[in-house]
Amino acid sequence: MKNNKVWEILRPYVMIGPAMIGIFLFVIYPMIYLLYLSFFKYNLLNSAMSKYIGFSNYIQIFSREDFYKSLLNTVIYTGGVVTLTMLISLLIAVWLSKRTRMNYIVQAGIFTPHIISIVSVSLVWLWMMEPNLGFLNYVLESLGLPPSQWLQSSKTALFSIIIVSVWHGIGYYVLILVAALQGISPNIYEAAALDNTSKFRVFHRITLPLISPQMFFILIIMTIGSFKVFDTVRIMTGGGPNNATNTLVYYIYGFRTTNIGYAAATGVVLMAIIGILTIIYFWLLSRKVHYQ
Amino acid sequence: MASIEFVNVTKEFEKKEIIKDLNLRIEDGKFTVLVGPSGCGKTTLLRMIAGIGPQTSGSVLLNGKDISNIAPGKRGVAMVFQNYAIYPTMSVRENIEFGLKNNKVNKIERKKLVESISEAVGLSEYLGRKPSTLSGGQRQRVALARAMVKQPSVFLMDEPLSNLDAKLRAQMRIDLIELHKKLGTTFVYVTHDQVEAMSMADTIVLMNQGLIQQEAPPEEIYHEPNNIFVAQFIGTPPMNIGELGVDGVRFGFRPESVTASTEPVESPFTLQGEVTTREMLGSETLYQIRYKETSFMIKSLIDKFSVNQKIHIGVNSDKLYFFADDGDRIHKDHIHYRDYFEALRGY
Amino acid sequence: MKKYNIWLSLDYILKAAVLLSFVFPFIWMISTSLQTFEETIKIPPTIFPSSPQWINFVDAMSSGPFVTYAKNSVIITSSIIIIQFLVMIPAAYAFAKYDFAGKKILFGMVLIAFMMPGQVTFIPIYLMMADWGLIKTLVPQILPFMSNAFGIFLLRQYFMQIPEEIIEAARLDNASEFKIVWKIMTPMAKPALATIALFSFVSHWNDYFWPLVMTDTNEVRPLTLGIAMLKQSEGISNWHIIMAGNVVLVVPILIVYLLCSKHIVKAFVYSGIK
Repeated sequence: MKNNKVWEILRPYVMIGPAMIGIFLFVIYPMIYLLYLSFFKYNLLNSAMSKYIGFSNYIQIFSREDFYKSLLNTVIYTGGVVTLTMLISLLIAVWLSKRTRMNYIVQAGIFTPHIISIVSVSLVWLWMMEPNLGFLNYVLESLGLPPSQWLQSSKTALFSIIIVSVWHGIGYYVLILVAALQGISPNIYEAAALDNTSKFRVFHRITLPLISPQMFFILIIMTIGSFKVFDTVRIMTGGGPNNATNTLVYYIYGFRTTNIGYAAATGVVLMAIIGILTIIYFWLLSRKVHYQ
Repeated sequence: MASIEFVNVTKEFEKKEIIKDLNLRIEDGKFTVLVGPSGCGKTTLLRMIAGIGPQTSGSVLLNGKDISNIAPGKRGVAMVFQNYAIYPTMSVRENIEFGLKNNKVNKIERKKLVESISEAVGLSEYLGRKPSTLSGGQRQRVALARAMVKQPSVFLMDEPLSNLDAKLRAQMRIDLIELHKKLGTTFVYVTHDQVEAMSMADTIVLMNQGLIQQEAPPEEIYHEPNNIFVAQFIGTPPMNIGELGVDGVRFGFRPESVTASTEPVESPFTLQGEVTTREMLGSETLYQIRYKETSFMIKSLIDKFSVNQKIHIGVNSDKLYFFADDGDRIHKDHIHYRDYFEALRGY
Repeated sequence: MKKYNIWLSLDYILKAAVLLSFVFPFIWMISTSLQTFEETIKIPPTIFPSSPQWINFVDAMSSGPFVTYAKNSVIITSSIIIIQFLVMIPAAYAFAKYDFAGKKILFGMVLIAFMMPGQVTFIPIYLMMADWGLIKTLVPQILPFMSNAFGIFLLRQYFMQIPEEIIEAARLDNASEFKIVWKIMTPMAKPALATIALFSFVSHWNDYFWPLVMTDTNEVRPLTLGIAMLKQSEGISNWHIIMAGNVVLVVPILIVYLLCSKHIVKAFVYSGIK
């Protein structure tokens, strides 16, 4: 009888045990370990030879131009992707929000890239953006427009990557916004129509506020997601040309074997950025719950 | 077969006492109905018997043995839930069989039991169906069959009829009474509906705010209520209550024990009032009578009185009740009973 | 009325154009994969190859150990999904239905795991795996994903909606907690589990970053890395071969999507507005 009681107290811990071990081992502990590593000059071949160097790695980070360059690239990339995705997905969502067969097909089509590997997407666009033989320049030329160097010029490379990322991800956000728009009670629109409200006003004063929770969700999720951009950069440009597309994660990746301590310190910076964004996210989430 | 006994049980929810020091004995083989308004603690008692909401302190005895430390599945009790709690992903047969399988009943025995029980409740042709394809009444039967198949010594039912429509509910009441007769086991039935309590119970346990107000057979609860709460809870419309104006004492009489007439009536308690509303129920008619500042409901076989008409009503002395200022009944042997009775004549 | 019709057809044409801009790259990919080298360098670009060059697929697949890559992808993805289910279901149940000391803090850790990406933690995890001598196995690509925080979160929400009465009924039916979880709760949570499995499948089948940083040898690399490496092994100009490899990576997922797009779309929306 006594064993039973003990088991009843232990049972929840046993049930969450494996999950918590996984989380501790592969999330919590690595976060701490990363912080620890960032204070060392780490020797990959013989970790016993690693040397504690205090804040040197951090001092180095904030005095190196290539770090600022990659941070700036990441911020520009994030700003570009988030702004473009928000605007275009909102536009398309409003346009496709009626429940018709055609709209459903277009939504499904727009969503398709989202479930395709970023490797495939990057390779296809790399080929599309090929300056001499690629399809995009062919279209530009046949429209009488000047061709672009796309990924091969430091002026246009980052923007090209932004285009690919928006194209890849936008379908998901369209779906979420369409669901949000369809969730608005038609009574509200009917009431607005009876009040003789203009279309623009309805959108600005009724639709937009009602879908703002989803807009916040998209904003934060996308910002966090964009800060860890890597795959497109690695496959399409390799950070080039001339570091024009070198982003934070790609920067860390570049040092992962040559200077682990330094890479770890940069990882801590990324962790801090994501941590702050997460806190903002949960803060907004709790406020949203509070209002309901 | 089993009797159940609560000994000084207390139940707390988040530091709030729902039930305090309650003692109750439920007789073996009886159909006992726990009735009361929502939040009175009736379901809490039922869950204690089942073991799915154990008491904070005190003990629950089954056949004189403390079962506080026995797992719900090993107590030999079965329960029918308000929302049936049918396993939605299992077929009707699997639902009924689940408990037997857990109790390691062998396959042949299981098949025999499931078939005889489903025959008894009229589910034979639905055994292969999923619950989502069944009607409300059929789901109710699945829940019942699932309880019956375990051949429990105690049947617990938590408002099992509340999700059925009125017609089906009336039918199920009769079915349950018959089932109880046939099985002869202890039934403990929880409801907030006094009609269900009156029609099915051998013993009614009427509760309010965690306290037992009265524990008696239906007739006694109806005719001899312990206090105002019981008097007003049982019967529709509830007992009329008026201020006597002496010692804070109140008097009461049931709407159906009134004699009404256009002529003055000969009774210890009479008054002349004006009909303010009239509801025709069929065999009877319900009138609201206005007298001075108060209103009384009366139920009469006569349906010819009309609104605004002045009528006389009277109540016989054995149909009059008196209650003290704390709500408790003042019985005939009370030293001031005659005084109060006389006071009423001058009402 | 007439004006209205013009608007309506304009609307249709515009929608078709938008649809095309999202579908065309895939068409071009498939088209290129069936062209000869000469066709790929022609201007204007070829859309319909004169005769489909199936040999491109053979060339692509023989340029590296693609059987190994494909096998690795299947093993990694299926192991992750199975392990995640075994780990996630009891955890989500405990978080949803039990009260225990430290629950809030422990669930907070789940949320941290939900937000913290592998791009932050990959260096320490690589070092750990190297320490344990596991870099030459598939373990580094499977084990770190054993706890699906998103799945625990979603499934917990789902379990919380299941009425307590069903669990109590099962307890009265003498079912052990183990049986309640696997025989009653799990079947009831099928829609949520399907969503989670789909998510897990798509993200791990497609994953590029994690295998890239966790592997040093071809023996343990999955399909995504193999295809991405075609770019180096085939040289930048052999687009017909690269696209052929790409088709091999895309087509399985595309078929799954075409077959149950409605369900997939629903799953993604569901997870987005939880």
